[in-house]
Amino acid sequence: MIEAINLTKLYGGIAVLNISSIIISEGESFGLVGNNGAGKTTFFRLILDLIEASSGEVRIDDKKIARRDDWKSKTGSFLDESFLIDFLTPEEYFNFTGRVYGKSEGDVTAFLESMKEFFNGEILGSKKLIRDLSKGNQKKTGIAAALLCDPQILILDEPFTALDPTSQIRLKRILNELKVNKNITMLISSHDLNHVTEVCGRIVVLEKGLVVKDIHTTQDTLKELESYFAV
Amino acid sequence: MYSTFFKHYWLKSTRAPGYYKNLIVNIFVGLGVLYFLTIFVLLGFLLPKILKEAAPQLDPAFTFNTTMIFVITLALLFRFLFQPLSTINLQSYQVLPIKRSKLVNYLLIKPLINPMNYLTLCFAIPFSITGISPAYGIGGAFRFILIVIFLIWFNTLFATFLKRKFGSNIPAIVSFLVIVAGLAALEYFKIYSIFDLSQRVFNFLIESKIGGLIVLMLSGMAFGLNKWFFAQNYYPENFDKKATKKQAETQDFTFMQRFGKIGEIIALEMKLVLRHKRTKNVLYSSILFLLYGLMFYPNHMYKENDAMLMFIAIFVTGIGMILFGQWIINWDGSYFDFLMTRDIDTQSYIKANYFLLLSLSVISFILTTPYFLFGPNILINHIVAFLYNVGVNIHVYLFGATFNTKRLELTKGSAMNMQGVSYKNFIVMIPLLVIPMGLIGIFSLFAAKNTALIILAVLGLAGIVFRKQLLEITGKQLLRRKYALCEGFRKKD
Repeated sequence: MIEAINLTKLYGGIAVLNISSIIISEGESFGLVGNNGAGKTTFFRLILDLIEASSGEVRIDDKKIARRDDWKSKTGSFLDESFLIDFLTPEEYFNFTGRVYGKSEGDVTAFLESMKEFFNGEILGSKKLIRDLSKGNQKKTGIAAALLCDPQILILDEPFTALDPTSQIRLKRILNELKVNKNITMLISSHDLNHVTEVCGRIVVLEKGLVVKDIHTTQDTLKELESYFAV
Repeated sequence: MYSTFFKHYWLKSTRAPGYYKNLIVNIFVGLGVLYFLTIFVLLGFLLPKILKEAAPQLDPAFTFNTTMIFVITLALLFRFLFQPLSTINLQSYQVLPIKRSKLVNYLLIKPLINPMNYLTLCFAIPFSITGISPAYGIGGAFRFILIVIFLIWFNTLFATFLKRKFGSNIPAIVSFLVIVAGLAALEYFKIYSIFDLSQRVFNFLIESKIGGLIVLMLSGMAFGLNKWFFAQNYYPENFDKKATKKQAETQDFTFMQRFGKIGEIIALEMKLVLRHKRTKNVLYSSILFLLYGLMFYPNHMYKENDAMLMFIAIFVTGIGMILFGQWIINWDGSYFDFLMTRDIDTQSYIKANYFLLLSLSVISFILTTPYFLFGPNILINHIVAFLYNVGVNIHVYLFGATFNTKRLELTKGSAMNMQGVSYKNFIVMIPLLVIPMGLIGIFSLFAAKNTALIILAVLGLAGIVFRKQLLEITGKQLLRRKYALCEGFRKKD
């Protein structure tokens, strides 16, 4: 369970995020949408303790996360390229991540085997460094590394951008399977209303740092969102 | 067109985000340059005297001429190792209707207008007055200065060509060293005297009216070689081998795995060093710096200068730690968010960095053991310096690293690169070098150098004994500074 209580983040006196209360329960798939500058990435960075909250706090499983380490073992995340170690090959990067989480080489190999379809034969065995991969393949590498540690909480920032259509569909399938089989809590932000409504059971719309909509996904959600953004 | 290029280049450097903020760094660099300038000028004036003492039977100008070929070759080697290739964002200009030859000419001429390249003149002009003109007259002195300028052009252009053609990889460097060693061997075994050849060639060049012209033609040839290279390799992908290198060399430090998470992080940092240009350059230059002691220990001038000897001892026994320590934590900047969200507790992260610096110190210390041959004095100095490095300096570096929030760009590599360096790097130098030198200096005045040595050794030992507590303090400090570091590292220059 993730709680954000009275959470604000100010930059130069201006609030870029101001959330009075968001509670994400276990197994929930939480979609975050909003235009550029709405505060999506800021919210995720606060949950991952990468920036300091101006006031309020984030709690995971009823424990504060700020300047603590214990939440890290159950969280998998990929926000941007600063989550990639670009001078490693994808294999080395996966092995490093796996070992940090105490996985054996066999665990990692088995996991990579399950990702084979998603990688589409382009990531493993090419002996390329991550910095030489295309943007789309870098993204796939980062997403896979976030999934590698069997997270109870998964946080992905715009996972669909830069992916080709086939990979987008495959990623949606992977996420839906994880939801059903492993009951993991997912936080996903996206600019693509189609994808996010397909994957997430709950959608929160941010605008200038404020929660303006908090809805459970139904047949009509996509229409509702489209009409909201069509200004 | 060329003026537009140079204007863009000017804008690029002045609009770099760090340009104004880096003022303090620039002042330090400026002071360093001033120091070398003074040395150069003094050397220029005094060299004839020194040469006269070394070879009393010869005119200083002739003695100087005999060494010219070696000097030029060495300068070429240094340029080959350290001179960055001048670049232009070729693709953004290539699509515009600009003649390619203009782009190439610009690339080649750019380094020639860099004032740093002409530092040699600060030596050459004084020397031409005191050394050359007595032997060759005023005309000879002028020709000498011209020849030096043209030689700078030649070396700059020729080094660029060699670097573009062969790359600055180890085989290229080794073959270069072999050639130099070969020349030295010819000389040593008296098969063929390069000194003699050098003396005759430069004697001719300075005396002859067309001497300058011949050297100018040489630099023209070097220019032509570069042009030829670009003509052969039309597309950047053909000569920029790094950009298209398909297979990455991958080394695995599996032996580090047995140390768990800490070992994993150390193995990661080792890969970081070996896979970036800038860190690799530092690695090579640290090998050269190991020899720094040879400039001081055999020299009687420094026998009594205890503070200077301590400086050298700290510098050479800790060279790896000192050079890489300034980047510690900082160099993880490009994936710091990743490290901070993975299952790595702060203490393990700090410890991994500690052990990395510790092993670098131990390696440097072992490599400098041959210096013990210079006597028991040096032996004691080195041991004290080693203790101080391990016990004090490593902790200073780790603690200091939490203040340096600048993102380090490791892919752009040159030895003189000041990117990601801030005045904080220089503040760290105070406990690092100034305190031990100061202590030794002050106590030596009262003939109590040993007391100072004991103080330094005790400080070092204390740091080793209490390392756990010290690392915990640094860990807490890292947590306190975590957000500032994350934010700073996200900002790209």
